[in-house]
Amino acid sequence: MRVIGPVDSHRGFGPQDHSCWVHGDPRDYRPRLTEFFSEGLERGLRVAYLGSGNAEELREHLECFVDVGPPLTHEAIRIISFDEIYGAGEPVDPAEVIKKYAAATQEALTEGYRGLRISADVTDLVLAPEQQDAFARCEFLLERYSSRHPLSAMCEYRLELGDAVTQFACMHAAVPAGLTPFQVFACDDGAVGFLGEFDVACQSAFERALQRIQPAPDDSDLIFDMSAVRFMDHRALLALDSYAQKCQVPVFVRSMPPIVSRVARVLGLEHLGGARPGDL
Amino acid sequence: MRTGAARGQVGHFHEAGFYGSDIEFRALIVPFAEEGIAAGEPVIIGYDDRKNSLVHSWLSDPSAVTFLADKSLYATPARTITAYRRLFEFYVARGAGQIRITGELPHPGNGGRFEGWDRYEAAVNTVWEDFPVWGLCLYDTATAPAAVLDVAERTHPRIVSPLGKRRASGRYQDVSVFEGLPFAPDPLEETTPAIELAGCSGTEARHALTQIGRGRVPDATLDDLLIGLTAAVSNALLHGRPPATVRIWATPDRIVINVHDRGHGPADPLAGLVPASGSTAHLGLGLWLMHQLDIDVALKHADDGFTVRLRASPTVFLAMPWPRHREADGGGGPLACHTRAA
Repeated sequence: MRVIGPVDSHRGFGPQDHSCWVHGDPRDYRPRLTEFFSEGLERGLRVAYLGSGNAEELREHLECFVDVGPPLTHEAIRIISFDEIYGAGEPVDPAEVIKKYAAATQEALTEGYRGLRISADVTDLVLAPEQQDAFARCEFLLERYSSRHPLSAMCEYRLELGDAVTQFACMHAAVPAGLTPFQVFACDDGAVGFLGEFDVACQSAFERALQRIQPAPDDSDLIFDMSAVRFMDHRALLALDSYAQKCQVPVFVRSMPPIVSRVARVLGLEHLGGARPGDL
Repeated sequence: MRTGAARGQVGHFHEAGFYGSDIEFRALIVPFAEEGIAAGEPVIIGYDDRKNSLVHSWLSDPSAVTFLADKSLYATPARTITAYRRLFEFYVARGAGQIRITGELPHPGNGGRFEGWDRYEAAVNTVWEDFPVWGLCLYDTATAPAAVLDVAERTHPRIVSPLGKRRASGRYQDVSVFEGLPFAPDPLEETTPAIELAGCSGTEARHALTQIGRGRVPDATLDDLLIGLTAAVSNALLHGRPPATVRIWATPDRIVINVHDRGHGPADPLAGLVPASGSTAHLGLGLWLMHQLDIDVALKHADDGFTVRLRASPTVFLAMPWPRHREADGGGGPLACHTRAA
């Protein structure tokens, strides 16, 4: 069972959890990373640390940074440079990044691990505004991939990003309480879940998030699951309707809460909550 | 093609008539309906059960007329405008050259409340301009309060007498200059609110309302209040002058909410009654949305700012006013025409 929703602890994440954290001081990241990796090793997962620089520098940095037991255990931690996964300099190619994570996950399984666990402070990859859109799309694809494969990730961002961090945080199934008013997460069955409260306070963030949600190439439709939505106002519903009209595959909404259905009905958007033909 | 007194007219031909007895009521309504029946025009009649029965007995072919007996037709002004608009679209799509409607608005004389209907009567001179509608609003001078009759004279460009004489209303005020009735405060608003939140977010306001409202009103009503509150707070934050202040009063079975900001509020006299023109940016849609709900909504412009008041109580019956149609319509109605395909 994946962890979905606001969390108050970084402990106990499973092999498919995708979480986002923010720190102002690297010393705040250190205990999280240490426990995340330790728990991963105990679960039989391959653990990988990503960062800028070459592998040697990164390993030295990591050994100073975390304490996951004896040196032998340290050897079990794989070091991956950002360049290897994300390329160098340019905005990332989300599909390519996911292919590389998928390959790394498969490799871990082939070598007898029960999955792959990764963590990185990715702030440097999104400092430039022109890099942010592609990276947020990447986070969404990572969210979908981890919901169906044994890849768990703890994504760290630094406070210096300010409000910009919301666009990345909202694409994770698990986030610290208060970091984002809403979340987009992947359901076990391929649907895309919405969680939280959607109103004017996060309208532009929600519209931006919608633009970054794309059906997979083999998806014949796209299902949005609203069972975790506490409130959605008319602006957000209209944005969702606009998205549905432009999407290249049919869009369906399931488990719409009564209060959201009420707004949809008044707006004449009842079709958003229509059943899929196969569900009839 | 239009017939009768509205021949050659464009848009809504809005007329008021005043009667003091059933005889005068008959003298006003029968020619209106019979002329429409003879011309093959849709004729829609919406009074209480007693008056509908009377009209039914007076007409030569009552089956040619649509009687709207649903009390919720006049639930709220904005919803009545929406419901009639759908009805008009339905009939125009079927080729109607003119649609005749006649009915009686709620007021204290017939057991209703007139709050908000003054704006409705002024607004319908404009909002139905796209349709060939002849609206005949009949007022019972024996029961309607003087203030209601005064509004009727100022909101109808034309007046017809029981003798059939027609004249322009010398007191008519266009919607842009119409002076509505004074805002009537709720007695609860004179007391200290149970909750007062200054500068709050929509989430905080919803949380406060949920905490205090649960169990006092039905869940569906509380949902409507939450939707209205959200729209009002959003508008205050986007368009008002800070601070946006939410005040909530609660009794065991009533909730009254004020959302106040220091701005001037919407200048559009039609605000809330119809979706604002050019609403692609969703401007004005929140006000319209809250007016479509099963709650009482009032707007107050004052020197200290603009207030949206939302009220819910078990004594206010506000079911959806969708009119039913004759079997001859094949079971479909304006709503069926309006519903968008998935």
